[in-house]
Amino acid sequence: MNLVVLLAIAATLVAIQLVVTRWLKLNRLAWMALWWVALWAAFSYGINPPLPNSIIVLFMAIITIALIAYLSADSDELQAAQSAITRFMVDRQYAVPLLIALVALPLLVALRVYLETKAAPQPPSSSRTIHPPPPPSINFNGTTLNLTTANNPYRELEDSDPEAFAEHVANGRRIYFQNCFYCHGDNMEGSGMFAHGYDPLPANFNDATTIAMLQESYLFWRIAKGAPGLPSESTPWSSAMPAWEDFLTEQEIWDVIIFLYEFTGFEPRAQGMPH
Amino acid sequence: MTSMRPLLLFLTLCLLPCVAASQDLGTEAQRAEGKVLYDVKCAHCHGYNGDAVSVATAYLHPTPRDFSSGNYKFRSTPSGELPTTEDIKRSIREGMPYTSMPAWEDILSESEITALAYYLKTFDQAFAGPYGNPTVIEIPQAPRYNTDEAHLTRGRAVFEANQCADCHGENGRGNGPSAPDLMDDWGYPIRPADMTKRWTYRASPTREDIYRTFTTGLNGTPMPSYQQTIEEEDRWALVDYVWSLSEDDPDYGTVVTATGRPGPLDLAGDVDLFVNVPEAYFPIVGQVIEQGRAFHPGVNGIAVRAVYNETDIAFQLSWHDMTAETTGMNHPGLKVAMFDPDQPDTTQGNWSDAVALLLPAAMPEGLERPYFMFGDPRNPMSIWYTDLAADSARVLSGQGSNAITETDFQLEHTANYNDGKWTVTMKGARQHGDMIFAEATFVPISFTVWDGYANERGNKRGLSAWYHVYLEPMERVSAAGPMAKWALIVLLVELALVGLVRWRTSRQRNK
Ligand code: HEC
Ligand code: HEC
Ligand code: HEC
Repeated sequence: MNLVVLLAIAATLVAIQLVVTRWLKLNRLAWMALWWVALWAAFSYGINPPLPNSIIVLFMAIITIALIAYLSADSDELQAAQSAITRFMVDRQYAVPLLIALVALPLLVALRVYLETKAAPQPPSSSRTIHPPPPPSINFNGTTLNLTTANNPYRELEDSDPEAFAEHVANGRRIYFQNCFYCHGDNMEGSGMFAHGYDPLPANFNDATTIAMLQESYLFWRIAKGAPGLPSESTPWSSAMPAWEDFLTEQEIWDVIIFLYEFTGFEPRAQGMPH
Repeated sequence: MTSMRPLLLFLTLCLLPCVAASQDLGTEAQRAEGKVLYDVKCAHCHGYNGDAVSVATAYLHPTPRDFSSGNYKFRSTPSGELPTTEDIKRSIREGMPYTSMPAWEDILSESEITALAYYLKTFDQAFAGPYGNPTVIEIPQAPRYNTDEAHLTRGRAVFEANQCADCHGENGRGNGPSAPDLMDDWGYPIRPADMTKRWTYRASPTREDIYRTFTTGLNGTPMPSYQQTIEEEDRWALVDYVWSLSEDDPDYGTVVTATGRPGPLDLAGDVDLFVNVPEAYFPIVGQVIEQGRAFHPGVNGIAVRAVYNETDIAFQLSWHDMTAETTGMNHPGLKVAMFDPDQPDTTQGNWSDAVALLLPAAMPEGLERPYFMFGDPRNPMSIWYTDLAADSARVLSGQGSNAITETDFQLEHTANYNDGKWTVTMKGARQHGDMIFAEATFVPISFTVWDGYANERGNKRGLSAWYHVYLEPMERVSAAGPMAKWALIVLLVELALVGLVRWRTSRQRNK
């Protein structure tokens, strides 16, 4: 949401209602046109991240139909609107504005066509599924790990043996700062020193939509199998996430997972809860 | 003599509190807060004792600052002196770009940064001593950037007179004759800044910062201080000359637009082949994904241009490189051991510089493409490869970094190293095997550079993500036709509508 833009649009509408209508009586048709433009501006500039063009066109088509339906529901209103249009096209007094409108519209269309042909063509954009469903089980260097039941074996130490747990955290810290921060960043915000050279960008673990909503077994899968382990809807060919099964032991992966949660202050999603 | 003793003692006792009072060391509470933050956010790099002994140090280059040495690069104080609290805070706030030291301003609050700065000072006793409160060199407000030829020529003269080029190169590309031998105070090799890329400057890239950098020098590095040697009025001429060599923003691209050029593409003979062809600049980062990781690649960006004719497509690749390694050999398929901090790589001198552009072996139908690390068995990759020692270019096939094989496809190429810059061109058929470079299509492309000086070979390399090369159609369709067509259609509809309405109203009136 871009609150500033939305407020500006609302303020303009109110201003027109309060100020302009003092001198100029706006008929229903003019109001509808105003609303149409206001809604278009709100969809185009008021929403962050911006809506795709096709969605805006769709919304505006629906709104146009709704406005026409609204107008035609009241036959007096319809009559009034119709006669206003007719007068504009027929009456002498509107000859000049009519002429201007007749010339301006084709010119605007021609300008649009021109801009369209001049616009640089866009490369095919790939949308990717960020969190695909994990496989039921994975093979980790010869042992099978059932992802639906696997738990972090060191998690329980947090309560039972805080000292031993702290060692796992420290080991996770070491692993992270020898292997991960080049991409995921010193503060886990996904902007490490090499992040700008990779596409898609490395995950931001401070964001509530990554590790905060994932189970530890899901992270184990992602860390062990990396990009090559992703299904094709998640564009495994372009992700830089390494497959750490080649470099880290099972314990090291569980330790770095513990560290990710310690550092960001999030809790892992409990096993058994659906994604 | 003896009678002086009490007097001296008295004086010292009197002075001590005065000296201590003028040090800016923060409060006990601030330093304690700083320690808590430091142990969580900084110690894994800078060491729990601030001495840069940490789990990460062996992987980093430049290494994290050793705070116990009191050597700070970024200072507003004379060469060899300690920084002010504000200097340290600014380094923490803004970080050191293109190193592992991030900017913390969006993460830590101003008071946290202050607390950290006071805590860092505790690692070096000198901050509490008589030199703990150094004089600050005032940096005057920068005059307007002056591009007069006489002014810049004077800047060039100052640049030459002070041997900046010795380290930084004739055109500031970081390739001066002394550059390869420079060491920092901790005995690690250090490269002079590539002045042309202001976005990589460690200590901010404003004109005041450049003034400050050569005035105060960078402690702990070979970058000297010119506080005494350059006249005040020459300083801004030098700043503006450095400014004129450099750019502010890498302006990274995502598409190389290939320009159509009917007729032969003569790489060696036609010096104008790539003139007026748009250039796209891409980031190159270390390969830290598979075996042979490159934690500090020698190259950080590559500029690309492309032209094509009816049958061929030619690429021009250029990048800055401190030294040209044109002896030894290189190959994408060379095996490289996993990085091991305890086993330094002693193979320097064996590896030549090399470059490759990577393409799918067949034009992908959908979005799927080869794995960007040299392809995969399902989707092989074409590697257009030039070894800059062998003076040959050819196409290799990649089905993964362990499966790189030769093909029959040859490429024409040229290679030139001039003043810190490689320029390599490669030309191949627009159609070879299953790969077709069709007009008006986006072909996936990525880039790899090997810096022989940094022992890069095989999978130890600088690489890029997937980008695109777009073949701009040779025949540009003119917009005039469609414009006239649509304008006319709209006009006719309007006229018909107005005509109809008028006709109907006149009939009603007549009734
Ligand atoms: C070369 C860069 C790189 C390195 C090094 C790297 N990652 Fe990643 N990582 C990525 C990228 C890019 C993504 C996002 C794309 C994807 O999901 O594959 C990612 C995604 C992830 C995810 C998935 C997050 C989610 O929300 O699904 C986890 C977990 C992860 N990384 C953990 C790690 C750990 C732990 C390390 C170190 C042992 C590490 N990464 C090292 C690049 C990297
Ligand atoms: C991932 C490793 C890493 C982390 C984490 C890190 N630094 Fe650094 N830091 C570095 C490196 C590397 C340098 C040296 C950069 C250079 O020499 O160009 C550095 C340099 C510095 C400097 C010296 C600037 C100068 O003028 O010489 C300061 C001050 C500093 N860091 C403070 C901090 C503080 C405070 C934190 C924690 C909030 C922190 N760093 C976290 C890697 C790190
Ligand atoms: C003895 C070699 C040497 C000489 C001579 C030298 N420099 Fe440097 N300069 C360096 C090194 C090394 C660095 C990089 C330090 C680093 O990476 O922290 C550097 C860095 C710089 C930077 C970048 C600072 C930053 O914020 O990263 C500028 C600007 C600069 N030098 C300007 C100059 C000018 C101007 C001169 C001549 C008056 C000069 N240098 C002479 C070695 C030298």
